[in-house]
Amino acid sequence: MESITKQGNRRIGSSIGIALCWAASIAVAAVCLFIIGYLVFQGWHAINWHFLSSDPVASLSEESAGGVRTPMVGTAILVLFSIVLILPVAIGAAVYLAEYMDERWWITRIVRIGLETLASVPSVVFGMFGLAVFTVGFFKFLSSSGTEGGSMAFGRSFLVASIVMGVHILPFVIKVAEEAIRSIPKSLRQGALALGMTKWRTIRKVVLPAAAPGIATAVVLGMGLAAGDTAIVWLTLGGTMTMASDAWWRVSNWLPVLRGAGSTLTTFIYFNSPAGDGNSPGAAFGAALVLIVLVLVLNLTAQLLFRRGSKAGS
Amino acid sequence: MPVHAEAAVLAPLSGGPTAIDLKERVRSTASDRFMPYLLGAAAIFSGLIVTLLVFFVVQKAWPVFHAEGLRFITAGGWDTQLEDAWNGSAFFGVRALIAGSAFSTLGALLVSFVLGLGCAIFLAELAPAWLRRPFETIVQLLAGIPSVVFGLVGLMVVVTFIADHMVPGNSGDVVTEIPIGGACLLAAIVVLTFMILPFFVTVATDSLRAVPRSYVDGGLALGMTRWRTIMRIQLPTAAPGLIAGLVLAAARGIGEAIAISMVAGAIAFMPNFAHGPLYMLLEPIRSMASAIVENGGEAMDVPSIAAALFGLATLLLAFSITLSMIARWAFGLFSRRMGVVSDRNL
Repeated sequence: MESITKQGNRRIGSSIGIALCWAASIAVAAVCLFIIGYLVFQGWHAINWHFLSSDPVASLSEESAGGVRTPMVGTAILVLFSIVLILPVAIGAAVYLAEYMDERWWITRIVRIGLETLASVPSVVFGMFGLAVFTVGFFKFLSSSGTEGGSMAFGRSFLVASIVMGVHILPFVIKVAEEAIRSIPKSLRQGALALGMTKWRTIRKVVLPAAAPGIATAVVLGMGLAAGDTAIVWLTLGGTMTMASDAWWRVSNWLPVLRGAGSTLTTFIYFNSPAGDGNSPGAAFGAALVLIVLVLVLNLTAQLLFRRGSKAGS
Repeated sequence: MPVHAEAAVLAPLSGGPTAIDLKERVRSTASDRFMPYLLGAAAIFSGLIVTLLVFFVVQKAWPVFHAEGLRFITAGGWDTQLEDAWNGSAFFGVRALIAGSAFSTLGALLVSFVLGLGCAIFLAELAPAWLRRPFETIVQLLAGIPSVVFGLVGLMVVVTFIADHMVPGNSGDVVTEIPIGGACLLAAIVVLTFMILPFFVTVATDSLRAVPRSYVDGGLALGMTRWRTIMRIQLPTAAPGLIAGLVLAAARGIGEAIAISMVAGAIAFMPNFAHGPLYMLLEPIRSMASAIVENGGEAMDVPSIAAALFGLATLLLAFSITLSMIARWAFGLFSRRMGVVSDRNL
């Protein structure tokens, strides 16, 4: 008798457990879809040609918050510069970790621990690190002169922010690229080596081309991370919404713009949200919709590339 | 070209390498000798950046630790000290900020553990095959949403909801120190939960999937229900992996600056147990990371404030390094338990 009721209780218990797992998953999916739907719903009204083609205005009233042209340019500069700056280092490190390093070597362990730790450091700490390094007078050429008698550098510019952002995304890019290189079957390498190719030629002519989709995944993921980060940009690009020059497209202005402060989509949202000084939620929602579309496109591209890569690899 | 062609024709007769071959080989041995050093330099440089980071941040924080020692951590009163610092005072205590980080992260960890475990079991075991890919995509979408967007939606939806429906009308009678306006610890916990959840779900799902099928089959053969094999076999076996996922999620939570700064009220208020659990959740907080972004602008020109903010960055760095060490230990335990000696060398 007792064992039968016990079994019955268990059956009820397991159906409840299974139902709870379904409920949790549905709740999480609903929240995710709600966030995206809410942004589309709220941001839709804000987005028009004027919003996309005009510059932000430093103003406290909602009607004159301006548009997101320079923040979009800012995001583009930051994303491209940070990934281009670190790509040679990232691919080099990934190739070395995947192809040359002996896992039992103590240096290998230190490098791996260093990369894992770097990946766990919060982005706000990277921002402070950037300020600590690039306010040193020696780095004046990356930003402008500071306020304190000119011995220090200002330490906030597109160049500084790109370098710091590059360091922030470096461990993630290395990790994905290394996995991509490792996933290339041994037989390809052995074939090339059997034909008399040296190790480096095998890597350059056989392994890297085969791993190209995976490495592209790493690049696109890194770009998504760079586009979505706020703390680094807020600290190392300055809190100003406008660029050093409104006519950023003129070649003669490129250097001043890169050495100057500015904004990206993320800091534009932060500034214009009710929590920031700008307080114009409409503009913040418009920019948030642009940002989320950009980030989602980058992430979906990464997933597609990844699937193509793993198909090619297997 | 003709020379090469000639050599190619002649070479087989002499049995030696062709001219093209020789040229190729000479060139590639040069780069073969040279490239490993270049690549190795890139790898070692990347691995050592974190030491640079620690060096610069700790060096800048040194004045505040040197002057205050442990009182930097144990003393309270951040907000007023910040005001005073503009007038030359230079004492800071970040106890309330540490409490803000701890309460928001622990709360979010608790909720995302419960929710995330459900999602992970669903993804690894229960979901029908056609639902797996879409649900995985959704979890990845959630992981890709920028923190400032979480902050914006949290501010407009969660904070508004709390202000309209949860704050009692007579809140001013109970909490006299500060006005209660919806931006609070509870909002921080809700927003943070969904920010760290995807990272836990990803790791937890992988750990559950890594449990060998034979373990589960053994349980089923003994007459256990599917659910009991999950609870009694898979979860205990995957426990170190789950811990690692939780620790990684904690590291993300403690470092989150922007979203918390937007939804938690930005007041360094020590959550007061005497007010009861509801009011504790409704009181504003300020976390270490959000204090850095909120005050990291003009205030950095004041040397004492700059040192205090670098002190906070040092604390964050110490937390994240510790957590990543714990995660590495847990992952190691997990892979040993799964019988994987070292998957990297295979």
